[in-house]
Order: sequence, then structure tokens, then C-alpha cells
Amino acid sequence: MVNDSKSYWSSKLLALREQNSVNNRAYEEWKKKTLEPWNGGNSSGGREFVNSSGISLKEVYTPDDIPKDTDRRLLGMPGEYPFTRGVYPNMYRGRRWTMRMFSGFGTPEDTNRRLKYLIKHGESGLSIAFDMPTLYGFDCDNTRADGEIGKCGVNVSSLRDMEVIFKGIDLSQVSTSMTINAPAAILTAMYIAVGKKKNIPVADLAGTVQADILKEYIAQKEWIYPPEAHLRLIRDMMVYCTENMPKWNYISISGYHIREAGSSAVQELAFTLADGFHYVEMGQAAGLDVDDFAPRLSFFFNSSINFFEEIAKMRAARRIWATVLREKYGVKKTRSLLLRFHTQTSGYTLTWQQPLNNIVRTTIEGMAAVLGGTQSLHTNSYDEAWALPSEDAVKIALRTQQIISEETGIPDVIDPLGGSYYVEWLTNKLEEEAYRYFEEIERMGGILEAVKAGYLQKEIAATSYRRQIRLEEGKEVMVGVNKNVEEGEQPISILRISKKAQKQQLDRLKEVKSDRNEKKVIEALDDLEKAMRKENENTMPYILKAVEAYATLEEISNVGRKVFGSWKEPVIV
Amino acid sequence: MKVLKIEEIVQGILDGNRRAVSRGISVVENDYDTAAARRIIREIFPHTGHAQIVGITGPPGIGKSTMIGNLSATLSKKGFRISVVAIDASSPFSGGSLLGNRIRMQESLSKYGVYMRSLANRGLNGGLSRSVWDTVKILDASGSDYIIVETVGAGQADLDIVNLADTVIVVLGPGLGDEIQAIKAGIMEIGHVFVINKMDRQGAFIAMKDIEETLAMSPKGEWKPPVIGVNSLNGEGYEAFIEKIQEHRSFVKSHSDLTMRKFRTELQRTILEELRRRFESDISHFLSDNEEIKQLVRDKIDPYSAAEKLVKKIA
Amino acid sequence: MDPGKNQSLFKDKPIKILLAKPGIDGHDRGILVLAKAFRDAGMEVIYVGLLPTPEEVVDTAINEDVDVVALSLLNGAHMTVFKKVADLMREKGVRDIAIVGGGTIPDADKPKLEKLGITGNYGPGTPIAEIINHITERAAEIRKLKATGE
Repeated sequence: MVNDSKSYWSSKLLALREQNSVNNRAYEEWKKKTLEPWNGGNSSGGREFVNSSGISLKEVYTPDDIPKDTDRRLLGMPGEYPFTRGVYPNMYRGRRWTMRMFSGFGTPEDTNRRLKYLIKHGESGLSIAFDMPTLYGFDCDNTRADGEIGKCGVNVSSLRDMEVIFKGIDLSQVSTSMTINAPAAILTAMYIAVGKKKNIPVADLAGTVQADILKEYIAQKEWIYPPEAHLRLIRDMMVYCTENMPKWNYISISGYHIREAGSSAVQELAFTLADGFHYVEMGQAAGLDVDDFAPRLSFFFNSSINFFEEIAKMRAARRIWATVLREKYGVKKTRSLLLRFHTQTSGYTLTWQQPLNNIVRTTIEGMAAVLGGTQSLHTNSYDEAWALPSEDAVKIALRTQQIISEETGIPDVIDPLGGSYYVEWLTNKLEEEAYRYFEEIERMGGILEAVKAGYLQKEIAATSYRRQIRLEEGKEVMVGVNKNVEEGEQPISILRISKKAQKQQLDRLKEVKSDRNEKKVIEALDDLEKAMRKENENTMPYILKAVEAYATLEEISNVGRKVFGSWKEPVIV
Repeated sequence: MKVLKIEEIVQGILDGNRRAVSRGISVVENDYDTAAARRIIREIFPHTGHAQIVGITGPPGIGKSTMIGNLSATLSKKGFRISVVAIDASSPFSGGSLLGNRIRMQESLSKYGVYMRSLANRGLNGGLSRSVWDTVKILDASGSDYIIVETVGAGQADLDIVNLADTVIVVLGPGLGDEIQAIKAGIMEIGHVFVINKMDRQGAFIAMKDIEETLAMSPKGEWKPPVIGVNSLNGEGYEAFIEKIQEHRSFVKSHSDLTMRKFRTELQRTILEELRRRFESDISHFLSDNEEIKQLVRDKIDPYSAAEKLVKKIA
Repeated sequence: MDPGKNQSLFKDKPIKILLAKPGIDGHDRGILVLAKAFRDAGMEVIYVGLLPTPEEVVDTAINEDVDVVALSLLNGAHMTVFKKVADLMREKGVRDIAIVGGGTIPDADKPKLEKLGITGNYGPGTPIAEIINHITERAAEIRKLKATGE
């Protein structure tokens, strides 16, 4: 089995190398005859032209840079294998991308107000961010949480908080995306419980939890237990949701954070898809039919500032996913081959200097996402480099998407850059580089081993350090930071989370703990522990029971800490 | 508390005060050839000799740090005072270094109050850092029962650990493949206890048998190095591991010639160092005398004869 | 990397620095870049990984006898968490270890941090050379303090 898969990646890599090694005689002749005399020996003025993935770029690309049968073999038509041009036949003519703005801060009341505000302004999907204590499975009354309540998202310590967040919102009419990973099963259970209280059948609940734990170890570093334990809990959620929640996308395989951690575009592409392949193998090992759960896996990419590289990355991602799922994992249904993804514009490229420039950056990145064929989009607010976005800044970000959608004509034609020599060449090149990583990861014993050894983390840290040095040396430019700098800039006004949020959360938690039936809590947690200790027991129903008994996030997480232990990362630098 | 004076550092070390221990180590590390450093060592030396110095070596990535974390936790639970010294390589280009060994030990450090100090080898060949000799003396005098020294883990360069440690642990693991053959070359002679880490992994048992076989072929000394398998995930094998460390301790204690040999080796390196230090300025003075060098070149004097001449002059 | 001023002071005895994110904050891109940059500027860098408690940070600083502790947080909790570290240092009577800060720190918070003895407080996008210079200056003060007691 191992040998089989090894040969799959190596043989694919070999074939791609063969396919992409072109002899461009026309280009060489042009260079000699026309370009070099024009430049007079000074070809680049000392600048290097290289993208984030370290790929050197030529002055111009020609038909010779792409394989002859590109259109038939590598592209196909929209909605047709290998889906390079888009997953749906009608793309944005059928339905625009979902404008999904990430929100969530302060108290559940604050978030509830912000969600209602966005719904009023035409947002079509809810998206919730949680604060650090919640992401790490700590309650607001843990001493470690002091000063962190509501700072980077909303605080949820118990079911009561979730009830407040969704107060007055009809859960059968919205889809909710929750950016939660380590405690994803607990938050899903809370959402189910809120739905139950509103008499909405669990089968009608629509939304997404991120639950991509591999990228936590690779990039975002928000974990509780060792990788194997988290993967097992995600497996339980996968099985439960496949059977009970047809509209719930239980894993959003995320490259976004890999990129924000400083990776290149190709590292984002390769590591994200490698994570995806692991979840496919995990589902198969849990006895699920790949055609039953593959359509429920969705992706989440970053759209950064190198315009064409981002577009090529998204196109390559679709092709790789479809190809590998069909060839390696034996997928039969077309629906299972579709790589559908959410995009968020890059936070890494935003600057606190001259913050209004960020609107321009976000616009370009948003355009790249649309040209890359995204299914939903979050555009960052211009003040996000500094703090949680203010209401005005969020509105401009949403308007940016609406302008791209309504005024520019960009969405009118599907994959308008398809056939561009440069974009096709770059798509092929990124694809090849991704397979190089797949092969390397396989040689390290698979993604889990590579992550535990810190290999992917080291690759990202090396890329991010290299970029920093290039910025310091002026080889790479950020306007307002290392070029076109303005002296004596005033700090922009930002949204501050008051200490009141912390106080209010603490009070509510205290109230929850005094109101609940303690015996039921202990019983539920005991049952959960027993379930966790049995590898083949599905923990999901037990988590739901604990949540409904108002056991807190930390109490439930602590059961896992007791059973599985906690995790300390490998040495990366 | 104000800034520590030398006499306070000495007294603090003997009292087991951590700040004094830490500052004392900095003094011997940064100012090893000053009167202050000499004084510290001179005054604490009579109080050394209690601790067992356990050197841990093995290839990078084999899980030495996690293993030391477990080992020190297990020993702490038995009531022993543990200190850990971890040595990392300095960058040959900048002289700086990244000391990341604490990451995998943090839990044992905070939970059991294990003392840990990271040292960069500061470009010294041999893998150990110059100051490690004095560092273990300070930790010994401060009341440690065990001082665990983790080496850089770079093959041949690590062999020096045998001169420092009472007991040398060689850590190996499954999946080293051909690498293991190369590592074995130097390392098999210095190990007193061999540990196979990651016994939960495939190939661990084979690695264990492989080491046992190689040891069986090596010349028989009085101490027969045992091979122990441990699993750092669940703590399996650590009791047996500790037993072997303690057995070797008794073995060393009952062989006073070993203590003599260790002292002789350290004395030798100290004398050489002292000579080098003392004559360094004479030598560089001689080398900077252009006229003299010119004359040597003109007369076609070979380097050996020239050196002999200089040494005679200094003596 | 520019090795900065005061080089002779640190010849054969590099600046020893502890880098830590003492809050619940996994954003380690910046701190990993700094760790490498400081090493390449000739410093001995100790990085303890993610999620150390303020107590662990202070214990590590003392046991490793570092010259400088560099704290970084991007989660907005700096006023609570940095202060805890500074308070613990003072409680333990340590005044010969410098504390510098960095992260998403609004200008308004900087004077408050300075008052606690936490200097620098650089935001994202600060040239690394500037940070290294500041650390070198603080380390020079500390070395002088250790040598002379003043």
C-alpha cells in the first residue's frame, strides 16, 4: 500500500516534469534578436523577478510554454473534469459567490448585534470568530484567559453564550461558518443544541466548522491534545454529521492560516491539499464511502497580493484535487471531485502604516479570488492589521465585494484568464511544485509524521524568514513600510474591547454554574470520558449531552486533556 | 535584591539558590579566565563530588529532549534534585545560536522544579562547550543529585562527553537505517547504557537487537553496557533505565581508578589551556614581528625549526 | 543582519535573550523570524515554544540568566500579560534582566508599558535592524549593571 502510493506521487511528478520542460525556441530567438539589443545588456535593472513561491519569471510567455493539448487535457470546460476553469458550468452567472464576512468579538451580545447588522446590509452567510481562550478550550474564568476575553473574537464558555449569539436569528434561514478547530465538536454540539431549543431539526442546520486540525499543527498552532487524539474526535464528528446533518460541512481544509504563517503560495497549495488527502484517507479508514463524504469537504484559501500567482494557485488546486481523488482514491461521483472553496484576502499584506492603502490591496486580492473561481469571499477591513475591524471599515470591505460583483463585469465570463500563456504556465508550474511536496511528505512517512517532526513548520519558517530579509534589503517592497514612507503618522482609530466584556462573561459563567444541575453535569462528563477511552465509540452524542447539561467548554475539554494528554510542539527554529 | 557580588554568588551556589547558580554559570561562561571565575570554582570545588553526571548523546531528531524531560520527571518524583544542561551548536557564521531544547522539557521543568540551563558551544570543536566543565561543578556544589548533560548530537564531535560524564547514555531509535552504521563507529565505545527510544514505532525492536549484537562483538570490559527500550509517550521502560544508571553509578564508585582517570584528563586539558593562554601573547608577538619572519623566509627555515627556536626563547 | 553597535562588549560573550509569547496566542510567524534574525545577529536565543505562563517565562529568564526577555503578543492581551511578567520579575527582586515588548500594541499603551520597564514595544513592519539595535542597547545597560552594580 505504502509502495503503491509512493509510486503514485513520484510517477505523477515525473510526468509533470516531462510535460513542463519546454524548449521555447521562439522566446530565445526573440530575446537575442529584439530584447537584448533593446536593453543594451542591462536586462532587469538589478531587480529579480520572482514570485512568492520562489519561481523565476520570464519577460513574456508564449504558446510554446504550455503543452499543446492544454485546452482539452489540462483545462476542460467549466463544470467538467479536471475543473481547472471552475467547478460549476454556469459559475457566477448562476449564482454569485457568497459574501461572508468574518465577525465575532467581545461579548455574545456584541456579536449578536454585529451579525444582525451584516444581515441587514445584505450579507448572505454568517461567519463567526472566537477569542483565544475559546479556541484553546479555556473558560473565561481560567487565570490564563485574563485579559484575552473577547479580544480576537467572541468568547464562548458555555451553551448559554451560543444562545445569546443567535438570539433572534432564524437558524433555518442562514448558514453559519464557525472558525473553530480544536474544540470544533463542542461548538458543533452547541449549535445543534441551540437549534433544538428553536425547534429546528438537526438535518436542517446549515453551515461549516473549520475543524482542520492538521493545519493547526502546521501553522495556526491552536491545539489542545496530540494530533492523533484530535484526528479521532474529528473522525467522530465526520461520521456523526455524515449520518445526521446533510447541510453541515464538517471540515474546511484551510490554507489560509498556512499562508498567514508566512508560507509561499505553493506551500499553501501543497500543504492544504496534503491535509485534504489525509482526511479522505481517514474517512475511508472509518468505513465511510468516499463518495458520501468527499462532497462535504470544503477548502479555504488565502488570496494574497501577487495577483496572477494567486489565480494560478486556485486553478491548480481544483485540478489537483479532482485528479487525485479520481486516480488515487477511486471517487466515482462528479460531485466528489469538486474543490469548492472560501477565500479570505490576506491579512499578512495589510499594513498599519497608511491604512487606507489596505482598501486597494484588498480590492486586488478580492479580484484575484473571483478570477480564481471562489465560492465565497471575505474581504478584510482596512484596519485589520491593527485590531478587530470597526463597523465602518467592515462596511467598506463588504462594499468592495459588491462593486467587484455588480460594476466591473469581472464575473460575467467564466475563467477569463484561461488560455493566457502566463497563467496556464504558472498553473502548471505550481501544480508540479505541489507534487514535489506531496512526494516529499510521503517520503517522511506521511503528513502526520511530517507535522510531528516539524518538517512543514520548518519549511514555512524558512520561507517567512527569507521574505523578511528581502523586505529588509528592499528586494521586496511594501508601500508605506519600506518605500514611500510617511513620517509622523497618526494611529488610526480602532475598536477597543472594554474590560466590561470580561466582567460580563465571568458573571454569566458564574450564573450558568449555579443554575445547572451539577449531578447531570458530572454524569455527562463521566460518560464522555468512558466514550473517549473506547477508540471505536463515537464521542459526538456524549459531547452533545454534556453541552446540553451546561457543562462548560473547559470542563468538556478537560476530559480530553485527562484522557489524551496535552501537546507540545516540535522544535522549529 | 541588588546585583550579586562574587561572595554572594559562591554562598548562594552552596545554598542552592537558583539566581546565584545561574549568575555563577554566566560568570564561568563569559569570563572563564578572570579572577572572579577562578574564585568561584576554587571555593565551591571542595563541595563537589556528590552528583552523578549523566551525559546523553545520540543523533539529532531521536527524541533526546523529550526523553530527558521524562527521565528528569521520573527521577524528581523519587525525590532527587535534577539539573539539566543542554548544549546547542553556535552558528559558525554569526556566532549566535538557537537554544530550543527547553520546548520539549517545559512541562517537567515547571511541574517538578527541574533546573535547566542551555549552553551554546561557541564554536568549540568537540561538541561540548568550554564552560560545561565548570557549569557541572557549580550544579554539583549546589546540591544536585543528578546532572544530565545533553550534547549537540553531531556524531564524532560528541565523543568528548565521555571525559565529562560519569555515565554516558547513547540514545538511538528505529528508522535510522544506514545512518546507524556510521554513528555506531565512534559511539559504541563510549556508551555505558544504550537506550532505544520510540519503542512504540516499527523497527524499534530490530534496532535493539542490532545494538545488542554489535555490543556482543566488542571487546569485553568489566562493565557490560545494557540495552534498554523506552517509550516516551507512556513512560514505559524508564524504571529499568534509571536502575541501570544507578547500577553504573555504583560501578564507578567501586572503581577509584575511573575517578582518577577523569581527573587526570581534565587536569591535562586545563594545563594545555593554561599554557596556551599564558603564551598566546608571546606567540602572537613573535608572529607579528615582520623582520623576524622575513629573515626566516630568506633563510628558508622550515616551520618546525622556527617553532623550536621560539619555544626555546619563551622557555 | 546588521550586528549593531556595542559589538566589542559582546565579543565571545554574546547577548543572551529569551523570546516568549506568554499568552494564549499561537501567532508565531513574527517570533520565529525574530529568533532567526537574532541568531544571525550573533545572539544566543532561547525560545520556549508556545503558551508558556508568565511564571514559566520569569523562571526561565532567571535560570538561563538572560540579559533580555523579549515578549510578543498579537492577541491584544499585552497590558495584562506583559504586566504580569514585569510584576513577577520585581517580586523576585530581579532588576538585571531587561524586558522588551512587541506585537500589536497601540501607541496609547506604550507609555504605560515603559512605566513598567518594558521598552521597545515595536509593531509589525518595524525593521529588524531597529529592534536589534534597541536590544543591544538594553543588553549593554544590563551588562554594565552586572559588572559594576550600577
